Amino acid sequence: MPENNLLEMKQIEILFPGVKALDKVDFSLRAGEIHSLLGENGAGKSTLIKCLTGVHRMDTGTITLQGKEIHPQSPQHAMELGISTVYQEVNLCPNLTVAENIFVGRQPMRHGQIDWRTITKRAKELMARFHLNIDVSRPLSFYSTAIQQMVAIARAVDIKAKILILDEPTSSLDDNEVQLLFGVMRELKAEGMGIIFITHFLDQVFAISDRLTILRNGHLVGSFDISEISKVELVTQMIGKDMNTIFNLRRADVAPDAPFMLTASHIGAPGQVNDISITLKKGELIGFAGLLGSGRTETAELLFGATRMTSGQMELDGKQTDIKKPYDALMRGMAFCPEDRKRDGIIGDLSIRENISLAVQARRGFLHPLSLKEQNRLADKYIEALGIATPDAEKKIGELSGGNQQKVILARWMATDPKVLILDEPTRGIDIGAKAEIQRLMLEMCGNGVSVIFISSELDEIIRCSNRIIVMRDREKVAELDGETCTQEKILSIIAEGAATAGGEAQ
Amino acid sequence: MKKRFDFSTLARSKVTWAVVAEALILLVCLFVRPDFFKISYQPTTGMLYGNLIDIVNRSSEITIIAMGMTLVIALGGTDLSVGALVAVSGAIALKFLRWDVTIYNTPGDYTVYPFILVLFVPLIVCTLMGLFNGFLIAKGDIQPIIATLILMVCGRGIAQILTNGKQFTTQYSPFRVIGQGSLFFLPMPIIITAVVIALVVLFVRKTAFGTFVEAVGINRKASRLSGINAQMIIFIVFALTGFLSGISGLIYSSRIMSNDSNNAGLNFEMDAILAVVIGGTSMTGGKFSLLGTVLGSIIIRTIVTLVYYFGIASEATMAFKAVIIAVVIVLQSEPVRNYFAKRGKAKAMLANGGMRG
Repeated sequence: MPENNLLEMKQIEILFPGVKALDKVDFSLRAGEIHSLLGENGAGKSTLIKCLTGVHRMDTGTITLQGKEIHPQSPQHAMELGISTVYQEVNLCPNLTVAENIFVGRQPMRHGQIDWRTITKRAKELMARFHLNIDVSRPLSFYSTAIQQMVAIARAVDIKAKILILDEPTSSLDDNEVQLLFGVMRELKAEGMGIIFITHFLDQVFAISDRLTILRNGHLVGSFDISEISKVELVTQMIGKDMNTIFNLRRADVAPDAPFMLTASHIGAPGQVNDISITLKKGELIGFAGLLGSGRTETAELLFGATRMTSGQMELDGKQTDIKKPYDALMRGMAFCPEDRKRDGIIGDLSIRENISLAVQARRGFLHPLSLKEQNRLADKYIEALGIATPDAEKKIGELSGGNQQKVILARWMATDPKVLILDEPTRGIDIGAKAEIQRLMLEMCGNGVSVIFISSELDEIIRCSNRIIVMRDREKVAELDGETCTQEKILSIIAEGAATAGGEAQ
Repeated sequence: MKKRFDFSTLARSKVTWAVVAEALILLVCLFVRPDFFKISYQPTTGMLYGNLIDIVNRSSEITIIAMGMTLVIALGGTDLSVGALVAVSGAIALKFLRWDVTIYNTPGDYTVYPFILVLFVPLIVCTLMGLFNGFLIAKGDIQPIIATLILMVCGRGIAQILTNGKQFTTQYSPFRVIGQGSLFFLPMPIIITAVVIALVVLFVRKTAFGTFVEAVGINRKASRLSGINAQMIIFIVFALTGFLSGISGLIYSSRIMSNDSNNAGLNFEMDAILAVVIGGTSMTGGKFSLLGTVLGSIIIRTIVTLVYYFGIASEATMAFKAVIIAVVIVLQSEPVRNYFAKRGKAKAMLANGGMRG
């Protein structure tokens, strides 16, 4: 089949100090193909991509683009060669307008001045091609992450790319937005572009890609046509283990007479959510289902005091409580792993040890420091218990992979022995092994009497773990379902009901 | 934890390069003046004299302020008001050092107010002004550089108002001790500075305060969500910086036994920021090194001494100083440090037979 290969990477080898990041990996991409690149964190996906985009220099191997050997020196150079990349974290300038973001660095000029009219016009046309009718003269930060992602793709596509690399583009999108993105991907594919798609969502792999390549521990496992492989086989190949054994989880047992741990009645805050009532028993796990922006995160933030509630009451462990700020919640035995762990969770430049002991230390106050010995004991305990992959506790948290960062944040809160633990999208953007691990930990904590609120966009996760499921829509609680009997279809239909009545509304 | 000596970690540290820079400058000084390191004892004052002592002595005012500035910068901000606070502190001190003009008509060893007021009122006022900065920044969410600009501009005005625009002088001997006295054969400012450094380091590193400052400086939102009271941390840091500026102001005015609202503490904010940066703390906030800052402050003072020694015309002094500082900063820059770290590593690998990652 090599006749119409757009891109060919052969025998790529990259050495990092002490490890072989890639060991003789082959990869090929045809024109007009969507090719998924799969593997767990640390399997070498990003290393391979970074090698292609000129971030890492390869030690051996060749890259051929349309029959010509290339040596990308920098992302800029790769872009000039026709290789564009859109990363998971949108790396555009939030303070510039949409149009400026699309054309920055290559502004069309007229009479020695920037031709704003053309910029606006072309930006509008480009966004229309993505079926987005948005005001391109608004700053990028005005729009949701999904739209920002689209703008990033629009920019990449407009640079006459031959190859488009999408690195986890869907991890912050909801279903509709994913469909929108897929539509665009199909159009680009029809135009003959080669697309490399990296994701942790296996359903999406099967929905969109033509071929897939699996990496494991820096080795090539193989390339398959999508029709050749089943989901179960794929997972087995990726992690080298059977999927059923890793997802062998059991829902938490809640005694019928278990006391109420948390009772929130009619809580709300302007611009956040309205009139939410929740009860949570000791040792129970409830799931929050709903689309992005349905009020899941807002409710969690209200409960934890990250935003201040203006109406309603809360009872914690049978006592009326008034939580004004996260510190109050911490002192009353609550814990919260935020949705955007990069922005709101990790303290990037501090070590794993410091990150793990942070909340415990905050509860003690800075005048009663944990000794280095105690900090090391905490860190070592949780590094082992959660299986955090690191050589030692002094490594900066910012240098860990997403899954391991999430485990450190989880450890930070587990170390405080919380009564109520709120987890907002704890499994987003991490590989399937780490996902299963985090769900197992969650349920284990329930077994120890901790009450857990679990927020996730992945319904199968919610259904697998929850005792009860709260469905949110348009910033309101619309249903409360029993976890045992609930199905994905039921949740989806409840969410869709609202979409039908409120349909046609622009984003 | 055991740690093997590792050249590349050492070469990557900015503090290492600050030490190298200081050593180079001292070497040049020694070359120009062979008796540069000479220290002599003066029995009449009971003090040691010498260039090295003088450098440390004269760096006191900046070192003390830079202790606070280190924490401010670690939080990701800057405090421009410190120089003006030095002037305020001096003005208040001299105000309380007035004497009864109906009895004496020349300055002398007398004062109407108790000496305790001379010491404490300036410090309290400067602390309050620091709190004002902290209030604007923590509660008002105003960028530190803007918030502290207010007191930078109006601080000297306040000092002028307090002294009716006049320059007072005094000869009150207990006050003289602060800037010109001695203890354990050393000039008093060195002793005061040593005590300040020790107390700040103890406060910051023996409690969890330093970690909290770093956490807030790196990611304020995540710190808040982890239960850290970020506002309180900001309040404490700015109040502390105000307090330290007050001490610095007392030393400064005691040296000249006068107040000088226009020139006291002039450009101290820039020197303090520079000391912090040379000491290896990044302006973007986060990890900081207090001892690096001390070194930075001494380097700045050594450069000034060097300038005097070369006999450079006074109008060229600033330019000369700038050139040396530029060299120091380049020595500390990321590419240079990495270059040396890599070379060191390569050498170590050769020495060990080439088998260490």
